[in-house]
Amino acid sequence: SGSGLQIKLIGRARAGSGFNTRGVLAMRWSRYNPYYLEPEVRKEVYDKPETELSDEEKEEQSLKALRPIKAATNSVTSSVFHDPVISKFINMMMKHGNKVLAREIMTETLELIKRKQVEKYHKAPEGKREEIECNPYAIFHQALDNCKPVVGLTSIQKGGKYYQVPVPLTDNRRRFLAMKWMITECRENKHRRTHMYEKLSQELMAASMKEGNVFKKKIELHKMAEANRAYAHYRWW
Amino acid sequence: MALHRMPLRLRQTVTHVRWLHTSGLGQQQEALVVEPEPEPFSVFRTQQNDPASQSEKHIGQFYTIPPADIRTLFPHGLPRRYQQQVKTFTEAAVMVRQPALEVISYLKETDMSKPAQRYMFYGLKGGGKTLSLCHAVHFCYTQGWLVLHIPDAHSWVKNCKELLPSSFNASRFDQPLQATEWLRNFKITNEPFLSKIKTRQRYLWTKRELTEEGSPLGELVDQGINRVKSSSDVVGALMKELRQQSGQPGCDFHLAVAVDGVNALWGKSSIQKEDKSEVDPDELTLVYNLRKMMRNNWTGGAIITTLSHTGAVYPPKLAYLPQELLGERGFDNMDPFIPVSVPYYSEKEFESCFLYYMDRNWLQHPMSRTEEGKKEIIFMTDRNPSLLDRICAFL
Repeated sequence: SGSGLQIKLIGRARAGSGFNTRGVLAMRWSRYNPYYLEPEVRKEVYDKPETELSDEEKEEQSLKALRPIKAATNSVTSSVFHDPVISKFINMMMKHGNKVLAREIMTETLELIKRKQVEKYHKAPEGKREEIECNPYAIFHQALDNCKPVVGLTSIQKGGKYYQVPVPLTDNRRRFLAMKWMITECRENKHRRTHMYEKLSQELMAASMKEGNVFKKKIELHKMAEANRAYAHYRWW
Repeated sequence: MALHRMPLRLRQTVTHVRWLHTSGLGQQQEALVVEPEPEPFSVFRTQQNDPASQSEKHIGQFYTIPPADIRTLFPHGLPRRYQQQVKTFTEAAVMVRQPALEVISYLKETDMSKPAQRYMFYGLKGGGKTLSLCHAVHFCYTQGWLVLHIPDAHSWVKNCKELLPSSFNASRFDQPLQATEWLRNFKITNEPFLSKIKTRQRYLWTKRELTEEGSPLGELVDQGINRVKSSSDVVGALMKELRQQSGQPGCDFHLAVAVDGVNALWGKSSIQKEDKSEVDPDELTLVYNLRKMMRNNWTGGAIITTLSHTGAVYPPKLAYLPQELLGERGFDNMDPFIPVSVPYYSEKEFESCFLYYMDRNWLQHPMSRTEEGKKEIIFMTDRNPSLLDRICAFL
């Protein structure tokens, strides 16, 4: 199924509750019956002629004629410029559901990064031009990659005391931490009179160069994890 | 065309461009066959930087305004986003478009003995009216005319920080800050004329300050810049002098009055008096004097104006035509004028703009350089120049 459903295991059997044949109930986020199919927005899928479809794809297509389809959310597009990482970042920056403002900030950030780099590019002599990265999307992805921690720390209780134990992180968790640190750093630790897009562009450019506070935070987390290596065997999963 | 000398990624677009508009490029091809090709050759740029020699075959191509001209002529004239673009691309490239060429051709044939002709650029939001005005003003500057450029008449009827009662006429109000700023920019633009033109009247500013008859215009302007309190009256006096002197047998200058957002003069204002009652634009000295300038009772020059919906104070929502934006009073005052429509980019102009952005390394998203991305951009912007600029800014 599309996005992971938060599931709740049926605890006690209560009289008169009937029984759920599936054994699990969807509690958070998606309230759709699992019977519903995800909407397909990519243009390439529909451009393929009948002959080129494989058997599974033919089966999926026949299923679409029978099963109901979930309504598409506002953020899915068939645009060629769609980037899921940027969409996730915009959602994390959003406050009180004001997606318009969050998107505006993101586009202004990308514009400012590009402006600074293109100006540098035009003022640089011929030999130095290839080294200057003008693509704001490349800088954004590079900055996030540089800020993603490899291991994290969790609190595990052993013998009455709590220890900080280094633990591997899933990809989603790493991406989330990098984005969260970036946003909180820009919101809290900068001068109050600067715009968010200025603060973000400075921090993103610094992170892509492996400098800046967010990169430092990641390095410190790695150091702490290295220091607590001795407790790694406390983890049982 | 010298396809073997062009970078690979431009070659495909060039052939695509060729199919769309054979007429314009066909002429260029003939010209090329005769002479050795100029280097570097590009479809979207022209080396003809003098507005006077630009013609129909340059439509859609970009010409560069030299930095010295930008500093003198446009200390305050260019739109804000365009100024940022000039700073980023380290050059000021303006597209040669049909409306500006039309007005320039009329300006070339103006009869200096007839009353001043009024031209008005109108069109939908973001169409390119202000830049067309700047193109026409650049032409006037290169021909040696005296340029009276009011960059945004809307800024005179809103957000006024200081409003003084006028010393000249008790029922009117002065705006010292806006007047001094404009005078400073006027001085930068028209430096050479300030010493040549002499005043024909004696002006008494206060009991001790006066400007004698026959003193150079520069003294008048300095008086306004130094004595902020009388700056609005100085602006009025300056306009009156220029109006009276232009077209006379003895004078050696042509006067170009360029106003951006002329519908502000006859619209509403958002300035309030101390008792919170609204100030009518009639009661502002600057607006009153500028309205007198807009009348065609003087000779020896031209009046080029733009309508503007974006900066206007409480305009009707979907209005863009002259009658709708000027209102009854404004239209009656401005009538007769030559309306010039400024549409969105044509296909050829859009291609040219796209190639220019690619040349300046502005389109960075890998998909924006493909055909599909281009189709999507056309769909999103409908070839509106300002929307195209805003969307390509983050792509």
